[in-house]
Amino acid sequence: MADDILAQITEKLLIGETERVVALTEEALSAGLEPLVIINQGLLPGMEEAGEKFSRGEFFLPHLLIAAKGMQEAMALLEPELSLRQETPEVVGTVVIGTVHGDIHEIGKSLVGTLLSVNGFQVHDLGVDVPLERFVEKVQETGADILGLSALLTTTMIGQREVIEALDEAGIRDQVKVLVGGSPVSRKWANSIGADGYAEDALGAVEVARQVLGLGV
Amino acid sequence: MTEDSAPHSKSYNIDFQPVGRRIRIKESEDLLTAARNAGIQLISVCGGVGSCENCRIRHVSGTLSPPTKEEEKVFDIEELLEGYRLACQARPLSDVKIEIPLSSLTASQRLQIEGHEISIEPEPVVVPVEVELTPPTFDDLRADVTRIKQVLETLGVPSPMIGFSVLENLSDQLRAQGWNSRLALRGNEVVAVLHPEELLLGLAVDIGTTKLAAYLIDLSSGNTLAKTGDMNPQISYGEDVVSRIAYTNTNKDGRQVLQEKVVSRLNSMLDKLIYEAQVSREQIVDAVVVGNTAMHHLFVGLPVRQLGEAPYVPEVSDSLDVPPQSVGLALSDGAYVHLPPIIAGYVGADHVAMLLATEVVEQDKSVIALDIGTNTEISLITGSRVICCSCASGPAFEGAHIRDGMRAAPGAIERVQIQGQEVRVYTVMGQPAVGICGSGILDAISQMLNEGLIDHRGGLQEDHPLIQRKNDELIFLVVPASESGNDRDVIVTRKDVNEIQLAKGAIRAGIEVLLGEAKLNYEEVEEVIVAGAFGTYLDIRSAIRIGMFPDFPHAKYQQVGNAAGMGAKQMLISSERRRAAEEIARKVEYLELTTYPNFTDVFMKAMIF
Repeated sequence: MADDILAQITEKLLIGETERVVALTEEALSAGLEPLVIINQGLLPGMEEAGEKFSRGEFFLPHLLIAAKGMQEAMALLEPELSLRQETPEVVGTVVIGTVHGDIHEIGKSLVGTLLSVNGFQVHDLGVDVPLERFVEKVQETGADILGLSALLTTTMIGQREVIEALDEAGIRDQVKVLVGGSPVSRKWANSIGADGYAEDALGAVEVARQVLGLGV
Repeated sequence: MTEDSAPHSKSYNIDFQPVGRRIRIKESEDLLTAARNAGIQLISVCGGVGSCENCRIRHVSGTLSPPTKEEEKVFDIEELLEGYRLACQARPLSDVKIEIPLSSLTASQRLQIEGHEISIEPEPVVVPVEVELTPPTFDDLRADVTRIKQVLETLGVPSPMIGFSVLENLSDQLRAQGWNSRLALRGNEVVAVLHPEELLLGLAVDIGTTKLAAYLIDLSSGNTLAKTGDMNPQISYGEDVVSRIAYTNTNKDGRQVLQEKVVSRLNSMLDKLIYEAQVSREQIVDAVVVGNTAMHHLFVGLPVRQLGEAPYVPEVSDSLDVPPQSVGLALSDGAYVHLPPIIAGYVGADHVAMLLATEVVEQDKSVIALDIGTNTEISLITGSRVICCSCASGPAFEGAHIRDGMRAAPGAIERVQIQGQEVRVYTVMGQPAVGICGSGILDAISQMLNEGLIDHRGGLQEDHPLIQRKNDELIFLVVPASESGNDRDVIVTRKDVNEIQLAKGAIRAGIEVLLGEAKLNYEEVEEVIVAGAFGTYLDIRSAIRIGMFPDFPHAKYQQVGNAAGMGAKQMLISSERRRAAEEIARKVEYLELTTYPNFTDVFMKAMIF
């Protein structure tokens, strides 16, 4: 019975039936399943398979996003239960993420944030059009391991360099790994502004995040 | 069969519209043959056996042979009642009049059909006034200008004035013209002094991110004397407007460089128009220039940095009238260049011009009007409201970011038909295939969906016989190297499908958000107007099939070509239309999609087929 529910959660997550994922998660909780079990054996395998399908070209952006949304909504149910039990899923690293100032594009940045969080990172998402100093403050406040900067316009990617310079000025550049991304951003650009990592898509971002923290992929 | 061998064979006149060609054919011949004999290239992928549905025509008047079984398969009752037929199946039984929808014409032929002209009563802003002046004598020592002003006052022009730049040659001109002149008057200002027989002309310009279009117009009749098109030379500084803005941000003289580039190309286009129409530069006494907001600002030389950063506002949205010298446009010295108002940072005067030309705002109907390009502007007109948005549809429909993508040049695949395991293509000018253009990729994907080569998520189906693996990637082979024009396979990849999903998803999401905002459902939409070059080429049925447009049950679709250019022309020949444009710009409510609640969800759903 328990395995059955977990398998169903995985399957519904994969085919994007968000409402079913939430209902099944509730069902699993009331059947007495531990939240961590639901996460590790129900939700995460679904996300992993969605990621693999994306890499193989079987899934496209919408499927990944819809799956991630299912995971997030289920997590919203599970998190209060976890804190009741004073349990937390293993945190592999802390990430501050946001879209640079002058840019209001959200989709790519949020997808990276979601994928990082389902892969065990604690993610602080600052949203879009984020002022320079806000990034610096948040990195200082959280002691983040990674700072993710998104820019979707040729006119705003310069903001990524400005944030790196601001980290320098605040004297905390060496305390945090900076990852950059967004459609006009390239590896060459990332290198030229002294970023620590770059990935072409959201799944690549998870890999790079693990790499820069020496976690192995 | 000749007349001699079949003395009883009847023949009839076929009148093809809107191309305006007539031909006489025998009753045994079909309309596809008739069109070909008349020099009209209709798309026919199946070769005239009634299976490809591409040679659609509409029967307007006269009698045709009854619909065949093939046609009954293709059309529903409503379409048959509206007169839709397949040209390859229909034969004349009397003289007939036939309308050819743009989508049935080949790309090269479609270019020859301009946007729908709406006849406008000419009532230009600059008007001619004939004056006969008394030459100065020692008894009449009034200055030349005083002489003109006094004559104009007697003709009822209040406080007439003469533009400073007109003074440069005024005295010489008056004497050369024997004191008999035709003045070009703009309100109370003399903007040119011409020979009495010279026509007053105007220049209408559409500055597109990719293409420029210019029309030389006779202001008194509204007739187009000459027209020309060219590429926007700013392309070498960035394909899209954002990269051009970035160029000006990082290069000190960037703004000036881009301004000079576009104006110098416009001036050489103008030279060509002047040569072709055999007129003089002094006759061009008015101009209307439309373009998207970035093109507008760069043309006038205004700052664009703020257009590239949230919240993306224009420096100025009011209409402008600038002297040609200040932008470097070589018109008559005293003329003004009119720039109609702008709606928002990413909805420019070109959209205002399109709404004007199609007269949708003035009608009491629920209409969606859109101009498809790298940026697609969409307006929803309903009741008293006009709501518009702009979506980043990207350059995929122009053939960019598509593996074998190309513009609609000879050899570009523009139609695809998949039947069972057979793939047929139709290329521009019938040349061997070398790539696939925007309308072709749209058609290919709609056919791939129909035949199960891809699923609703855009995934290529490995078990389908037409899908193969090449270099570890699933592909659809459209034309093999052995049959192509460049010894290379023409293929569609998963990435190509995804690019189209992003593009059509953006457009569909824009439409859905506007409908939601206006609380309108699909049943209530009465008309869809599709403008722009790609909008003219695309097959509406394919666009609906892939979900770029919803399948509105009661909507009529109209493909109207370069409506922005038409709007510019209208504003040139009519001051009433110029005022109407101001009214439109005031009325339109702009809706920012990126910050619209749930936009991400709507966009994600819209990407699925």
